[in-house]
Amino acid sequence: MSDSALKKIAIDKINDLAAALMQKGTLIAPVREEKGSNFREIKNPQDIYLDYDNTLLSPKNIFFPQMEDFVNYQLGKDATPAKPVELNLKPAFLFGVRPCDVRSFAIMDTHFYAVGIIDPYWKARRDATTIIGYAFDLSKPADPADFYNTLGIGAADPEGSDIFMVKKDKELLLKGITPQGEALLNGLTMLAAGNAADEKYFTEYVKKGKEPRTRMMCLDDKTIAKKYEQIFENTEYWTRMADGCLSCGICTFVCPTCYCFDICDEDIFRQGARRRIWDACMFTDFTLEASGHNPRTKVYQRLRQKVCHKYSFSVRKYDVISCVGCGRCTRSCPVNIDIYSIVSEAMKA
Amino acid sequence: MSNNPYIPMPVKIDKIINEVDTNDIKTFRLTFLNKEDEEKFKYLPGQFSELSIYGKGESPIGIASSPTEPGYVEFTVQRAGAIVPGLVTASLHDLDEGAQIGLRGPLGKSWPIEFLEKKNIVVVGGGFAFTTLRSLINYMLHKDNRSRFGEITVVYGARNPGLLLYKEELAAWENRDDIKTIITVDKGNDTWKGREGFVPAVCKDVAPSPQNAVAVICGPPVMIKFTLPVFYDLKFAKENILTSLEMRMKCGIGKCGRCNVGSKYVCNDGPVFSMAELEELPRDF
Repeated sequence: MSDSALKKIAIDKINDLAAALMQKGTLIAPVREEKGSNFREIKNPQDIYLDYDNTLLSPKNIFFPQMEDFVNYQLGKDATPAKPVELNLKPAFLFGVRPCDVRSFAIMDTHFYAVGIIDPYWKARRDATTIIGYAFDLSKPADPADFYNTLGIGAADPEGSDIFMVKKDKELLLKGITPQGEALLNGLTMLAAGNAADEKYFTEYVKKGKEPRTRMMCLDDKTIAKKYEQIFENTEYWTRMADGCLSCGICTFVCPTCYCFDICDEDIFRQGARRRIWDACMFTDFTLEASGHNPRTKVYQRLRQKVCHKYSFSVRKYDVISCVGCGRCTRSCPVNIDIYSIVSEAMKA
Repeated sequence: MSNNPYIPMPVKIDKIINEVDTNDIKTFRLTFLNKEDEEKFKYLPGQFSELSIYGKGESPIGIASSPTEPGYVEFTVQRAGAIVPGLVTASLHDLDEGAQIGLRGPLGKSWPIEFLEKKNIVVVGGGFAFTTLRSLINYMLHKDNRSRFGEITVVYGARNPGLLLYKEELAAWENRDDIKTIITVDKGNDTWKGREGFVPAVCKDVAPSPQNAVAVICGPPVMIKFTLPVFYDLKFAKENILTSLEMRMKCGIGKCGRCNVGSKYVCNDGPVFSMAELEELPRDF
């Protein structure tokens, strides 16, 4: 961690900080909504809600919107040349992201631009965005579905954030983690300088965040990857794990590391768009070929694809388990399928 | 965003060739509207592209022409729709010469040309899955390339004579002495004077030597299923049997996750694989 000086602000003065960031660009922060909180673009600083555990949806949509147009075009006789959509991004500030979600960005970066062809949309948005991470509240118990400790993520890990925040009583402590984050903090005049006690508190908090807090099992990435190669054709195990699964796909939509998408053309009144839309390997037609052949017609085959993709294929391809233990899929599943239990059962299968 | 891999380049349908009696397989010869796109489009046999029609979508199709034929690129496309509605292929089939469509590519890995050099090549194709094999054969037969490869043997079969693709080229190959061409049909008709028999049986009959040889096999699953044992019996090593995998695709560049099998994306890590490589993958395709 860098030795940059710590800054702080009273939580009831957070509007000033928000206003300054909104001056500089787009501010995205958790907002309280009917069924929970979600990351939204902030129009009114009052809407920022920091007393949340974690958001319903992961923040992946900030870099990878659920739907986005690649090209706009007109159909018919008066058709004009198709126009690629330009992003014209302003600097963005993603405020209050929990450490497990921050880790998900690194996993997605590997897929979307570090390996192979660069996805220009993901990269442009990532490059334009400053990540302001936020430690979980260690005074409260973790959500029972969480298991980020299993993936080696601490509740207060600053790695991956540009700026990392820790709550200290009625204040927020902010520390620059990257040069970009430090420079931003130094330019924000409403922030006060932290003192030695604040520094100590911050350091202790990060350390305390590493103590086990969520569900935890011993998981080695190479071991689990190999295990899933061995039990890939264990239909008994997979059928048992997929028992009750509705193939609704909600687990993939809330997941911070699920990136499958469809590319489709849609038009209304001759105004058309080629767009990408989140898709899910849990859907029956995901692998349906034009010939009629479909390698994954059964529910268990699709659940197997999802689990093995995260815990085995990703390890082989990208050297990382593509799961951060945020617990969203478990919380959202209408039939209580829990990926943590699936993985721990695999060890016994 | 320049170099956006999701944006197709504009191309014109220069020529349409109706390949079969059933009128549902046509070859589309495409020319580039922009010279710089044509110059950038450097491909090798075995690669594919996304054919794009705004308002319909995109379809991944193997390149049927050979890079030794400059100025255009060809795709042989079957009209889908018997089981799954084929929006793109159907509307492509309804277009006339001169129409403008889009093209993204070249995509995927080619047949491993360097690996094939100095070896005897046995090309085995069935039905419609002959397109990238035709590309490979024409590439190897080109006067600048022919000496780089050993003996070339082609076994190509279709259900009936009317379903054979590239009939004029097949006839031309049969008249050459630097390629052994064996054409077979499951069942002939009144005018068919050639061989009758299924591809696996013909391969067994031809019995190519595995010595310094590579077999390149593409066809419908049932053909593959019965042809592979023939080549194993002939003592071809799994490393020396190549095929091209089918899997539903969207982006074609390894991002959208659709064609994922094990740690591979068929679009990016394939579609060309050796049987040795396929054995490493989970049976999920």
